Amino acid sequence: MKKFLLLLSFSFVLILAACGGDNGGDGGDEGGDDGEAAGEDGEETAWEPEQSIEFVAPAGAGGGWDTTARMTAQVFNEEGIIEEDIGVINREGGGGAVGWSYIAGQDGSNHHMFVGSPPLLLVPLNGQAEQTYEDFTPIANLIADYAAFAVRADAEWDTMDELFEDMREDPSSVTVVGTSSPGSMDHIQFVQIADAADVDITEIRYVSDQEGGALTQLLNGSVDVFSTGVAETIEQVRAGEIKVLGVTSEERLEGEVLEDFPTMIEQGIDSTFINWRGFFGPPNMDEEAVTYYQEKFRELSDSEAFGEIRDQYGWNEMYMEGEEYQNFLEEQNSEMEALLNELGLGEGE
Amino acid sequence: MGSIEGIITGFQTAFSLQGILFVSIGVLVGTIIGMLPGLGPITAIAVMIPVTFGMDPSSALIMMAGVYYGAVFGGSTSSILLNAPGISGTVATAFDGYPMAQRGEAGKALAIAAIASFVGGTVSVFLLMALAPALSSVAVSFGPPAYFALMFMGLTAISSLSEGSTLKALISAVVGFMVATIGIDGQSGTPRFTFGNSNLMEGLDFLVIALGLFALAEVTTLIINRKDSSMSKNKELGSLRLSKNDLNEMKGPVTRQSFLGFIIGVLPGAGATIASFISYIMEKRLAKNPEEFGKGSIKGLAAPESSNNAATSGAFVPLLSLGIPGSGTTAVMLGAFLVLGIQPGPLLMTDRPEIFWGIIASMYIGNIFLLILNLPLIPYFAKILQIPRPLLISLVIMFSMIGVYSISFNTFDLYMLLLFGVVGFLMRLFAFPAPPFILAFILGGMMEQSFRQSLTISNGDLMIFINDPIALSLIIVALLTFVFPIIKQIRAKKR
Repeated sequence: MKKFLLLLSFSFVLILAACGGDNGGDGGDEGGDDGEAAGEDGEETAWEPEQSIEFVAPAGAGGGWDTTARMTAQVFNEEGIIEEDIGVINREGGGGAVGWSYIAGQDGSNHHMFVGSPPLLLVPLNGQAEQTYEDFTPIANLIADYAAFAVRADAEWDTMDELFEDMREDPSSVTVVGTSSPGSMDHIQFVQIADAADVDITEIRYVSDQEGGALTQLLNGSVDVFSTGVAETIEQVRAGEIKVLGVTSEERLEGEVLEDFPTMIEQGIDSTFINWRGFFGPPNMDEEAVTYYQEKFRELSDSEAFGEIRDQYGWNEMYMEGEEYQNFLEEQNSEMEALLNELGLGEGE
Repeated sequence: MGSIEGIITGFQTAFSLQGILFVSIGVLVGTIIGMLPGLGPITAIAVMIPVTFGMDPSSALIMMAGVYYGAVFGGSTSSILLNAPGISGTVATAFDGYPMAQRGEAGKALAIAAIASFVGGTVSVFLLMALAPALSSVAVSFGPPAYFALMFMGLTAISSLSEGSTLKALISAVVGFMVATIGIDGQSGTPRFTFGNSNLMEGLDFLVIALGLFALAEVTTLIINRKDSSMSKNKELGSLRLSKNDLNEMKGPVTRQSFLGFIIGVLPGAGATIASFISYIMEKRLAKNPEEFGKGSIKGLAAPESSNNAATSGAFVPLLSLGIPGSGTTAVMLGAFLVLGIQPGPLLMTDRPEIFWGIIASMYIGNIFLLILNLPLIPYFAKILQIPRPLLISLVIMFSMIGVYSISFNTFDLYMLLLFGVVGFLMRLFAFPAPPFILAFILGGMMEQSFRQSLTISNGDLMIFINDPIALSLIIVALLTFVFPIIKQIRAKKR
């Protein structure tokens, strides 16, 4: 009886899994196709994947991490850059921590990786994850996204400087809303820019709305500033509901509406915030495997097909690998750490 | 007359062969997944997102919308038959639906739920079509203070959800609140009551609690009372037919709650759960014989069922016209839009009328499909009750576990499910009611967050709740509903 039920439940789970992974194999079974393993002909060949590859999005379906993982997997397979099947799975929870723990548990695997971005630095710095970015093997960075700060269309401020002018006088006169918790991305991206503009960042009032009401709060006047991603503002700007005071990219972005958003630098605030997105492998991934993937990611990043995807989602090209990526991460991490400590949110309390 | 043209384009999209085909696939998949205890619209939509890759956006979204309201429609089945609510919106359905099924009227209960859902769904699609553009301003009119007041009003329900000891109901609610605070605090980013366990960082999922307190507790009771002869009674399906009396009794609640549910659904964050609870309480207050509620009242079943389906259509107002997802489910829905390259927002209606109006128009077909699909199948669904008890019990346990595991594929959640199963059983044993617990858990999190958001905005000044007209009126209504029964009692005693 027990066995029957076990069987039944297994088959059900399998059906669900099959519905979920549209790319066929989801890499669930490790001992799958041993027989076809490459490199058995005695020749010393470069490393190649021996089974299907698993991309983990440490969040639910439809978000930024998920879209990056799915689109990358799609282009890899459709363009034939990687022959092996790539399955995308979602491991949601803890702002990414659940997915990271899972990858950390695949120690030494050459067939697992996840999509990372600034929360990979921020969540551990806030003491909310067991692993830090240093536990993982950085493979390559693919794209960059930027932050935007929006106010209501009829707000009194027209530039970042006017806003910060008021905030320098009384930082608590302005309320900022974002979708992530304090100390995470939406908060820190604003704090970083405000810090560069000499605002007392410890006095900034930040409201977190994780139920999707942040934009509502801006529109109905409950709060003054919405700290978010560039893409999230476009529709409302086109509809004339809000205006974007500034974006955190180095140079103006390209595209309709986007090109009208002024950068911080041109408004005299010497600071940028990059929402980078790249791939990371488990601890102790083989060097040969990393080299293999870097080559493939480079090819992907240069491909026309991925260029179209970038345009479609408003992402910018930002390819990095190896030492360059490592240094970039270290630099970002120490910057974030300094900000969090100044706010009193860092782990070392 | 751009909008009339838009509506016509929408109907053309929805009533094309493709439109009809995809809406029927959508509602079919939706009802099936919704019926399984533990699996609700979020799972249903998430499972379908990868399927839509590369599909034509309007067909894909018509299908996804069908999956969504189909799952809400189907969710009532497991609440009624097994006391295992698959989604938070059908918890209130179990209050009266399950006792009715226990009485041997499972067929009737399912028929009432199907008809109430159909009416709720259809009325709200009318409202959606007529008012969607206008209502978008209502959707953003609620600031944090108003949300706090709305949750506060929902809380007054605790007194009406309790049979017997008020003290026990309050204790149960307080524990529910406490459980809601587990996890990373949204306003300060500090982990609370996680004991350093990263599995608790996100807090507990609603499903873990609902399936533990309701389904597993019920199953445990069944196992322990297995020799009790009265247990065999509820195997009967009972007649499907509703008498004139039944229909008359349904008429009032269904009409009222279809409207109320829609309005509450429009508010981002409120959604089907709060709508169903508020509708349940309102009908109980209005009823001539409120003591029947909780024991298999037709009104008590019809009210939340029409309300939660109406709220589901209501939730499309902020999603489509503002691009604001009002709940976890609509957030996943928004993800589905973005994956297809469609950005919902104020311009969707003029830029892509075939999508905006197509989705809305397709809901008419979807609701009719759901009714046709569900009514004739009721006898088959109800056969579930004739499954030999040991097998049924094992199946409920199994599906509860699958449902909980599918939230985040984490075995820790399964232990929590078992823990709450035990808690639920002990609560039954000592006559602590479970509904106040689950209500406090659902409302508590949002209530705390909106309270603190308000105070951050006002710099700690409590007057913000009185200066906000919406908040003030809701608080007054809440206080009145609390005070009236007491005055009534005192008067009755004097006489």
